[in-house]
Amino acid sequence: MSEWDWAVVGRSWNLLMEGTRLTLGLFAAALVLATILGLILALMRLSPIAPLRWLSAGYVWAFRGIPVFVTLLFAFFVARDLPGLGWLTPVQAGMLGLGVDAAAYKAEIIRAGLLSVDPGQHEASEALGMTKAHYMRRIIIPQSIRVIVPTYMSNSILLLKATSVAVGIGLVELTGITRQLSNSTFRTVELFTAAAAIYLVLTTLLVVPQEYLERRFALKT
Amino acid sequence: MDLDLVWEAIPLIWKGASTTASLTAYALAIGTLGALILALMRLSPVKPLRWFAAGFGWLFRGIPLLILLFFAFFALPDLNLGFVDGILLDPFPAAVVALSVWTAAYQAEVIRSGIIAVDLGQSEASEALGMTKAHYMRRIIIPQGIRIMIPPYTSNAMTLLKQTSLATLVTVPEMTLLTQRLFSNDFQFRERITALALLYLAMTTVFVIVQQLTERTFQLKV
Repeated sequence: MSEWDWAVVGRSWNLLMEGTRLTLGLFAAALVLATILGLILALMRLSPIAPLRWLSAGYVWAFRGIPVFVTLLFAFFVARDLPGLGWLTPVQAGMLGLGVDAAAYKAEIIRAGLLSVDPGQHEASEALGMTKAHYMRRIIIPQSIRVIVPTYMSNSILLLKATSVAVGIGLVELTGITRQLSNSTFRTVELFTAAAAIYLVLTTLLVVPQEYLERRFALKT
Repeated sequence: MDLDLVWEAIPLIWKGASTTASLTAYALAIGTLGALILALMRLSPVKPLRWFAAGFGWLFRGIPLLILLFFAFFALPDLNLGFVDGILLDPFPAAVVALSVWTAAYQAEVIRSGIIAVDLGQSEASEALGMTKAHYMRRIIIPQGIRIMIPPYTSNAMTLLKQTSLATLVTVPEMTLLTQRLFSNDFQFRERITALALLYLAMTTVFVIVQQLTERTFQLKV
């Protein structure tokens, strides 16, 4: 192809934005799932009950050792056969796969944050007669957030980029739509550059909430 | 779950392991070399070099690897810059290019922070002893920085190993593609994908063990 035709990006803009919306939807749903599951796994890992610790450690070992693409293949081809999951749509399977994979990383980040709180805080809370559930929620977790935010956010940027892998199970998110558009127009350079620029804007924008949260949870001294 | 189908699939998928391993090895070798150059540029007193290295990192860490892969495979042949009329790469070299660029961008940060972490007094002392910068970087700073770099470096390398699975989407016949060929013939999704996951888990677990052994080798002897 000899001549550039950047106008193709303008002509495809609505479709690219539709893909971006699905990318953001996958990201948001997977982030919520990963955060909740990650918190549960982190608390299990720190529990006094050995089988819970083993289960959590095994989960983290497995999903950090398996490529996210393979987890997505599981979610797409296998999860629907599991009891009670027959209703999964492909998009929901994508959200499930991405979320389950990211939860392993979030669990490690949250665990490290919880461990960073001085043990004296646990002892003092117990001395004041608080129950464990109470002081975890009111004393330990709020203090750990300061440590968790930076790694949590940079891991979330990885998750945003990982949503592109969903094209491998046929979802038409930003990467998928770009692939289809470039197939039909042969304007590969222009369209992949446009997609790259959109991803760059999204990942650069994610730094804004990161800085806000870091300020919000900074120690006021 | 039919375990026989899982065991039967393992040797078939294992045929792709050498492709997975060589993708990882090539990208790691080329990417690490690029990362070292980028890290030194980033720390150089010459501003344009610093800007270039910082821009490279921002760009290639902000874009999904899959976009890089698709660009290398689908767009490079159409990339007409006047002096070259596009570069047509086979799937394997295209994947190596994309994975190397990606590795360079991430490992550059690891190397840079490892170098920075070495106490400034070490550079000053080396200069006081009359060593040139090239000399003391090579003999004093980098050997000390390596200890700090190993954990993040190996965990990036492990991520690279897993990310080679994406080369499937540009038709490189590595483990994931062979698995997809298997299950699109016989529809035994669960067993075939389980076999694939087991192979990746085995490979990444070996990686973690190697990491722990290397960390022990480079540990400070006190």
